[in-house]
Amino acid sequence: MAALLRPARWLLRAAAAPYLPLSLRLLAGGPGRPDAAVCLRAARARPVAGGLLSQARLHSIAAEKKNYLQEEPTSSHRRNASQFDWALMRLDNSVRRTGRIPKTLLQKVFDNTCHSGSPGGNQALLLLRSCGSLLPELKLSERTEFAHKIWDELQKLGTVYDVSHYNALLKVYLQNDHKFSPTDFLARMEKGNIQPNRVTYQRLIAAYCNMGDIEGASTILGFMKTKDLPVTEAVFSALVTGHARSGDMENAENILTVMKEAGIEPGPDTYLALLNAYAEKGDIDHVKQTLEKVEKSDLYLMDRDLLQIILSFSKAGYPQYVPEILEKITYERRYIPDTMNLILLLVTEKLEDTALQILLACPISRESSQNDFGSFFLRHCVTMNTPAEKLKDYCKKLKEAQLHTSPLQFTLQCALVAQKLDLAKVLMKALKEEGFPIRTHYFWPLLVGHQKEKNVQGIVEVLKGMHEIGVTPDQETYVNYVFPCFDSIKSVRAVLQENGCPHDDNVFSQAELRSKAVNGNLDYILSFLESNTLPFSFSSLRGSLILGFRRSMNINLWSKITELLYKDGRYCQEPPGPTEAVGYFLYNLIDSMSDSEVQAKEERLRQYFHQLKEMNVKIPENIYRGIRNLLDSYHVPELIKDVNILVEREKTDSRKPSSSDLESKLEKLKAENQPIGDILKQLIVMLCSEENMQKALELKAKYESDMVVGGYAALINLCCRHDNAEDALNLKREFDRLDSSAVLDTGKYVRLVKVLGKHGKLQDAINILKEMKEKDVPVKDATVLSFFHILNGAALRGETETVKQLHEAIVTLGLAKPSTALSSPLVTLYLEKDDLPAALESTIDCYEKYKILPRIHDVLCKLIEKGETELIQKAMDFVSQEQGEMTMLYDLFFAFLQTGNYKEAKKIIETPGIRARPTRLQWFCDRCIANNQVETLEKLVELTQKLFECDRDQLYYSLLKLYKVNDDWQKADAVWNKMQEENIIPREKTLRLLAEILRNNNQEVPFDVPELWYEEEKDCPTSLPSPVEVNLQQGLLNACHRRRNKDAFNIFLTAKKQNIVFDNETYARLINLLLMKDNSTQAMQVKDFAETHIKGFTLNDAANSLLIITQVRRDYLKDALTTLKTALDLDQIPSRLAVTRLIQACALKGDTESIHDIQKLVNGLEDSIGLSRMVFINNIALAQIKNNNIDVAIESIENMLTSENQTVDPQYFGLAYLFRKVIEGQLEPALKKISIMAERLANQFAVYKPVTDLFLQLVDSGKVNDARALLQRCGAIAEQMPILLVFCIRNCQRPGKAPVMKSLLELIPELIDKEEAYTCLMKSYVFDNDVTSAKALYESLTAKNVKLNDLFLKRYAVLLKNAGESVPFTEPPESFEFYAKQLKESKETHL
Amino acid sequence: MAASAARVAVALRTNIGRPVAFVRKIPWTAASSELREHFAQFGHVRKCTVPFTGFHKGMGWIHFSSEEELHNALQQENHIIDGVKLHVQPQKPKALQGDQTSDEEKDF
Repeated sequence: MAALLRPARWLLRAAAAPYLPLSLRLLAGGPGRPDAAVCLRAARARPVAGGLLSQARLHSIAAEKKNYLQEEPTSSHRRNASQFDWALMRLDNSVRRTGRIPKTLLQKVFDNTCHSGSPGGNQALLLLRSCGSLLPELKLSERTEFAHKIWDELQKLGTVYDVSHYNALLKVYLQNDHKFSPTDFLARMEKGNIQPNRVTYQRLIAAYCNMGDIEGASTILGFMKTKDLPVTEAVFSALVTGHARSGDMENAENILTVMKEAGIEPGPDTYLALLNAYAEKGDIDHVKQTLEKVEKSDLYLMDRDLLQIILSFSKAGYPQYVPEILEKITYERRYIPDTMNLILLLVTEKLEDTALQILLACPISRESSQNDFGSFFLRHCVTMNTPAEKLKDYCKKLKEAQLHTSPLQFTLQCALVAQKLDLAKVLMKALKEEGFPIRTHYFWPLLVGHQKEKNVQGIVEVLKGMHEIGVTPDQETYVNYVFPCFDSIKSVRAVLQENGCPHDDNVFSQAELRSKAVNGNLDYILSFLESNTLPFSFSSLRGSLILGFRRSMNINLWSKITELLYKDGRYCQEPPGPTEAVGYFLYNLIDSMSDSEVQAKEERLRQYFHQLKEMNVKIPENIYRGIRNLLDSYHVPELIKDVNILVEREKTDSRKPSSSDLESKLEKLKAENQPIGDILKQLIVMLCSEENMQKALELKAKYESDMVVGGYAALINLCCRHDNAEDALNLKREFDRLDSSAVLDTGKYVRLVKVLGKHGKLQDAINILKEMKEKDVPVKDATVLSFFHILNGAALRGETETVKQLHEAIVTLGLAKPSTALSSPLVTLYLEKDDLPAALESTIDCYEKYKILPRIHDVLCKLIEKGETELIQKAMDFVSQEQGEMTMLYDLFFAFLQTGNYKEAKKIIETPGIRARPTRLQWFCDRCIANNQVETLEKLVELTQKLFECDRDQLYYSLLKLYKVNDDWQKADAVWNKMQEENIIPREKTLRLLAEILRNNNQEVPFDVPELWYEEEKDCPTSLPSPVEVNLQQGLLNACHRRRNKDAFNIFLTAKKQNIVFDNETYARLINLLLMKDNSTQAMQVKDFAETHIKGFTLNDAANSLLIITQVRRDYLKDALTTLKTALDLDQIPSRLAVTRLIQACALKGDTESIHDIQKLVNGLEDSIGLSRMVFINNIALAQIKNNNIDVAIESIENMLTSENQTVDPQYFGLAYLFRKVIEGQLEPALKKISIMAERLANQFAVYKPVTDLFLQLVDSGKVNDARALLQRCGAIAEQMPILLVFCIRNCQRPGKAPVMKSLLELIPELIDKEEAYTCLMKSYVFDNDVTSAKALYESLTAKNVKLNDLFLKRYAVLLKNAGESVPFTEPPESFEFYAKQLKESKETHL
Repeated sequence: MAASAARVAVALRTNIGRPVAFVRKIPWTAASSELREHFAQFGHVRKCTVPFTGFHKGMGWIHFSSEEELHNALQQENHIIDGVKLHVQPQKPKALQGDQTSDEEKDF
């Protein structure tokens, strides 16, 4: 509806700013906004027709009124207007989409309007106008009743009615065939001091005419004449109806002549009135004649008019004529909603057979199988209680006509939604007859309705119904829907028996078992399982049993139940048998627990596992591995060994050699005096995976001299897992002695620190940390998290020194930043001991050292709980002084809230001058949500109602989030009302969330849920752009334009402080500028801000590429990878440089995985980016080498070069980059092996590219002797002229390469015969001013009688001249360019 | 008091690497057993959940025992149960939330 946009345009003009603020752009261009469709429909407005379907105009009129309102700039008006906007949008959407308004929607809009306090006149108008033919699903009388209710209610609330309202009411009366006294109506208006206008009179005439009261109509007509009001076509049309209804068809027809005499040509409305009149009499002949007459004239009847005639025929009891009219309908697309509404109306009027007739005539495309057009009809039939047999028949017909793919199923769904058991039963029987299965869950919607009301009788009825249909209730049915209705399961059984509800005893008792399990009644479970005689599968009980275990702390019962299920033939008979079943159960048990739960129950779980071990319960090894991974990710690796004891050894993979096999093999080799290093390592690793520490250690002691690094690493890890600090430390020392430069992986270091710390070997732990730093062990997020766990564990154990010293070491070594999280154990230490003064002291100390206040909230809460007034004062003074009074007030506010001191909290938040701090409020909200503190969050929302600048919608959004967690739709619904009371316009995301909660609980959603057109709208400032905003933005863009990054960034900061948000474009330009100026920290700051304030904010290709390069340079590889992902997700093409840099950086870190990730990410884009496959091959190999996986790297390269299906032609398989990095990095072992590989490829496979590349790189890095040796071993290198020449040509482009070229020539003298080569050589010598070498070259060439080209001679001549020497030949006279060009041309002609 | 510590850990835990298919647009006539039956053709279905409160909401989760099986299921273009086409996609891992558990850092 274009009218809606008018106020927005007006505002745009007023603001006249080149850059629109977000809110306005949304308003102007946002989808979901009405378009012109409604206006179109209203193209022909007929105020009197008494028409069924000419209503849509109302909204545009209402919106015009609103437009007028908006121009008054007071804030209350604005609020009213936006409230109106909201209502209008919802109603309008509905009308636009469907041509009607559902009653519930109108009711909700009405309720909200009432709640908003003083509804404006335009809102009243909107509501009243909606009560006519826009409600086809309501009976006529109900619609009028609704209109009256709205009228009275709004009047009570102080709405002032004007003539437009009275006219609207009249219109509703006409549309609803409401019988009333026009004179009384006029009297009422008079009493209200409202002057009737022309429209009023017209409508009153129509009212009289509808009753067939020509006399009454004439009286009003008289009034109009005395007032000199013009008599319009509408009046004449009404008179046609009037005469006809008074039984005087002749005069009705005569009206047309009268009209013409009065100078008014009868239009479609008049003819329609006449047609309706004939139809009401069942006079099909006249209808047809008239229609023909109209067709011949230049008038045109629309589908909508024809539908009206159909309605008249049907209502008057002549359905037999409907088909004849239907034939004439053209079914223009835009009238489909009108047709649907007629169908609905007919169903409402109990004329459903005619409705079906019309439906079947609808030319809806029937090809696509997804077409279920008839749904609306079926649903309404169910609502209107159409007899079941009829519905069955309709379903059949719709199916035949291909208007519905599964009409019976759909109707059944409607019946279930409407809780109509009897209808549902009939439909299910019909489905069954057609061979469809009737599934148990079909009955759940019926049960859930009764369950909510605890309606036992209702439940029994449904269960009986199930029996009747032949469906046996399953366990879910009992556990979820039946049992909750009763006080005890015993009484369920009794009631079912009493009512003759048959039930399967087996199913029932298992359901009972599950129900008890869920409630944690393990005693019952055990005794049931012991006495039970019916076998059933363990897995059916698994889910409930897990819940039960977690609710019970009785480990003995845990074990006994598990044992029984494991050993008793009744429960684990099915394959794969008890080992699998119990193993899987244990896995699920742990998986279902959170990591904190597992940590808290560590001891109990250990006890449980050991009891299982004693009971000889076993689990398969593969499931054990799953559990091991889980425990690792939960940070409780200490439990792994306790699970390991359960592993079924006999059945471990028979394909692999067992440890004893390996051991005998080892002994044999030893006896034969052969090297045993490899096999020893294998054996140790195997023992480690079997958690056999003792044996592994013995083995190590026995063959100490043959131990390799890998074996030690596995052993160290094993000892750590077994909490064996002593051996772990010793092994680490031996490991260092073996190879002091060897590096463990991060996880092993961290585990060592943990174990050593735990056993009081503080200094050793710190030494490990130092080593981590020295060896530059990568510290990832997970590592920092592990540090936290180590510290936190120690804090919980109360080990003051451990916490302090390790924290100190981690922070001073720079392994991790002293973040709030990492430092919180320093405070936890004292909180756990209830030593509040020390806790506070520690927090303050952290502030002084690191400018953070860890756990200040928890400290304050405890202080408040203990009533430590002095300490509270101290804390508050400190916070106040360091972070300002406002922060202090918030700290105190949250602490009071948390501890339930709401009165005090209220006092704090009402402190004059306090204002909303969105981040802090959000922090507390999130905290409440995470801890499920419903009351606390409710109080927060309540107390901040009057807080200055508080984003109420955001707070309510948080509250709804929490309600969603708890699935509490009643409270969510109440929030909805509260928001209305507070006059808050909810954001779309809030509405969506609310709708989700309601829908999840099968509640009707009382509003049109806004469609998701982009992710979530984070912030949509509702205020207008202030001049300040506009100026700032302008300034920023100017600064960007002039590349003044500092100025631009300062403007950004200023705006940020004032909470001003610019648009996407502005931020993008600022970020580009900052990145170009290499100011990535600031760029990131801007990016973060933009991302949190503009949902869907993205950088463009160039900016993302720049960002990647910057991130790589600063070694934020993870971030860079994320940036790359983001860019690719946006279908951007990052620059080749950016991607290559990132890959190379990953390779240097040995991060193979990331390179593989990148490869996957850019898969298919290589050509667009310009990325060669070799980039990946080189860097993956390099990464592997960095990880000491030299063999793997070499093997894969060799495979690529020797396999049948090569992806890269060997002659382009350039490994120069890899060789250079290996040489530069002095990775001697790798270089050695690579060299062997290159030679092997050359000698055995005749692939010479790698060996030549290696040779050249050796030369290039000055390792001439190595190069010479290689050349001697592999003479074919000298024959690889193309490769060698390319090397020459590349090298001579850069200065400083003369020595390299010289060495190359020395090694391969044949090169000099090539023109490209000697040209390059000369170029290099000239570059480096190497006169001697140049002379030597010239002489040797002339000695060979080589004919030198002019360019060569020119170069040489210039070099000699510059060196002050004479030129022994005539210098070519032209310029360099000339000869270069000449040379090029001559080469081209040779080709 | 260790609650805040636990929260850090929970926030950092992800469900990466679990082969789960997220299914939408399940017709109301189908429940978990129908889903399980359908998806069994792609591999071993470890767990199949379709949350119900009277009706289900058209959503369900299929836990396969390996990535490969999940991949098989995702490869298939059309999944049709009771004549209705399902929407099948891999379950996205929950986003990492970082280790900012407190607002103190943000609030300077």
